[in-house]
Amino acid sequence: MRLRFDDATLAFRDEFLAWLGDNRPSAEEMEADPAVSSAHAPEWARRWARRMFDAGWLVPGWPPELGGRNAGAVETLVYLEALTEAGVPRTTNPQGLGIIAPSILDFGRPDQVEQYAMPLLRGETTACLGMSEPDAGSDLANLKTAAVRDGDEWVLNGQKVWTSGAAYADFCFLFCRTDPNARKHRGISIVLVPMDTPGLEVRPLKEIVHPETPDLAEVFLDDARVPAENLVGEENDGWRMANGSLAHERSMVWLDSVLAIERSMGQLLDLSRSWLPDLTGAERSLAADDVVKLYIETKALRALGYRGFARFVKGGDAPEQALMKAYASETSRDLARVAAEWNGSDALATTSGRSGRHRGVGLIEAYFNTFGGTISAGSSEIQRNIIAERVLGLPRE
Amino acid sequence: MDLELSEEQAELRDNFRSVLEDCCPPALVRGVYEDGDEGDALWRQQVELGWPSLAVPEAAGGLGYGFVEAALLAEELGRAAAPATLLATATQLTPALVEAKADEDLARVAAGEIRGSLAFGESGRWALDAIRTTATQDGDGWKLAGKKEGVLAGSTADLFAVVAVDAVSGYPGLFSVPRAAARIEPRPGLDPALLLADVTFDAAPARVLIAPGADAAPRLARVTETATVALALHMVGACRLIFETTLAYAKIRKQYDRVIGSFQALKHRFAEMYLAVERATALCYFAAVSIAEDDEERGEVAHLAKAAAGDCQRLLAEDGLQLHGGLGFTWEQDLHFWLKRAKAGEVLCGSSAWHRTLLAERLGLASEETGR
Repeated sequence: MRLRFDDATLAFRDEFLAWLGDNRPSAEEMEADPAVSSAHAPEWARRWARRMFDAGWLVPGWPPELGGRNAGAVETLVYLEALTEAGVPRTTNPQGLGIIAPSILDFGRPDQVEQYAMPLLRGETTACLGMSEPDAGSDLANLKTAAVRDGDEWVLNGQKVWTSGAAYADFCFLFCRTDPNARKHRGISIVLVPMDTPGLEVRPLKEIVHPETPDLAEVFLDDARVPAENLVGEENDGWRMANGSLAHERSMVWLDSVLAIERSMGQLLDLSRSWLPDLTGAERSLAADDVVKLYIETKALRALGYRGFARFVKGGDAPEQALMKAYASETSRDLARVAAEWNGSDALATTSGRSGRHRGVGLIEAYFNTFGGTISAGSSEIQRNIIAERVLGLPRE
Repeated sequence: MDLELSEEQAELRDNFRSVLEDCCPPALVRGVYEDGDEGDALWRQQVELGWPSLAVPEAAGGLGYGFVEAALLAEELGRAAAPATLLATATQLTPALVEAKADEDLARVAAGEIRGSLAFGESGRWALDAIRTTATQDGDGWKLAGKKEGVLAGSTADLFAVVAVDAVSGYPGLFSVPRAAARIEPRPGLDPALLLADVTFDAAPARVLIAPGADAAPRLARVTETATVALALHMVGACRLIFETTLAYAKIRKQYDRVIGSFQALKHRFAEMYLAVERATALCYFAAVSIAEDDEERGEVAHLAKAAAGDCQRLLAEDGLQLHGGLGFTWEQDLHFWLKRAKAGEVLCGSSAWHRTLLAERLGLASEETGR
């Protein structure tokens, strides 16, 4: 156990900070042209991805030809911390960089790597992840979207939903059923589908906050045809690859959430110090205690994350990531709720485009937005099942 | 930050655990509960193992381990619901003597000649401003007057490290008082193995360990922080045992022709319990290493640790008892030793609510009306 990183790690961090200072996108250019979806890459984001790729700072743990520098896990951790502290997003297409590109590198052919993964890494394209369907949410293996072989093409029919960034992405990493007769986990494959494929239609889904800039979309496939060579890996091996895909960066995903929570906690503390003096005795004590409880959660999250990470670095498995996913997303939600509820009528403000009396910082809106964390990528309920069954060894229902 | 045990620390922890499983089984704890045994035989075994010398500096004849190792011992003692003599000696008396550089007393602790405790809180409060015990200079020595309630392992202590305020200046200081100079009233209560006692000083002759003065408070805080974090981890050790026991039971207990651990309603509660234990462990280890490295945030992190241990005991005692059903409600089941240890820990060294109010003050959130 130790509180601080060793000198070599700190030197690595300093080297990155120096480079970051010279090469980062400015706050002004990011604000002038913000990314409005998780597959939207404004010009600055494309330049930024390319610069990181060329300098070996895009995925430090990878070799130089893939935009890295063969860094170790601890170095990657301090790199991610430094980026967040500087207020610079690593990417505006987290699914593309974090899940899709690594999966193509792991399971794709060399020509697929060249055509699909490398442009993603260089910031030339973005991608979306086609997983959930109307009847396949938590029960993902129940997906029905069909891919039927017709000569040297796949014919795709079906519907995806909750597809983040579909309206902006260049291609979709699509999970589909290639063997309707196999048991449900066994008949799934992955196909790369350009979003301009005839027969593919994207319908944005307006969300309860910021309906004018939806990130989620439905994707309809109506006899959409892609070349047979667009199959990733082996036919009917999609479920195994899905588990591989989602495992990517699992050792680090917690850090993004924790850093975001620490930033929100800092803002809540600043905010609290400004409105607490307006409250009287008992009410003030209650409000202060709500804030302190969240402060404890924030500190606990980092301590817990570091413990799991140390185990991962030493080669251990980290099924506790399910714990971090549920705990972090629920803490984000609680932080937003406490901030909103103690702020009286200011909480009714909106940042949405519609005009009205209450324009400003939308605290209840921000609270609703946190449900993206507790619902997506395995809901909190599913995470608890995973902890109970895979970590604690309780029998399946 | 690395909060995982090193290989050496993990080995030490495993050693504490396996030795305690042998020499402090539930039957020994039951003996304390039912026959008024004070765990003297266990203490002699612990002395033979050299455990009292663990956190004593090498210069004073000890093994010279840091606080992380002492904290691991506290955790394992909680897992065994052990009689509290060693917990008090290693994590309350020893840190006080170390802070005061009282090498002669430390040498006697290391040799297993004396046991002891920290006499700090009064009127049920673990706070400097609650202290009414006074110290009056008397020639070369001091005389103490006052009463300390619920002193951990006060029943078996040979030496007390007593925090008292200078009758003249009002500044706090730390003093040592031998057992013979104090009046000891055992208060077995809920968890007799804690060996709690009220200790009264009636013009008791005392030696000064930390002279009363403006600079004494931060040094005393270091002693109380250390005791607090050790107790927090001790509670977590008891909670982890409750968790493991309850989980094992849910895997064998059948109702409606299936093991009860297969019901989702219970699975989610186990996930919550697991989180509570892991969360408190992580914050306690964070606090232990902050104290071991003497980090400037150690005071804050001690509050975090005790508050988290409080949250942990609340859930684990509640669900641990509930999910054992009627069995957990019986005296014959051993479970209550840990339930009681975990609950008792909440009211010692400051409750979780009290530690949160101190955090509120540190964070600049406390109101003037209730602030100190």
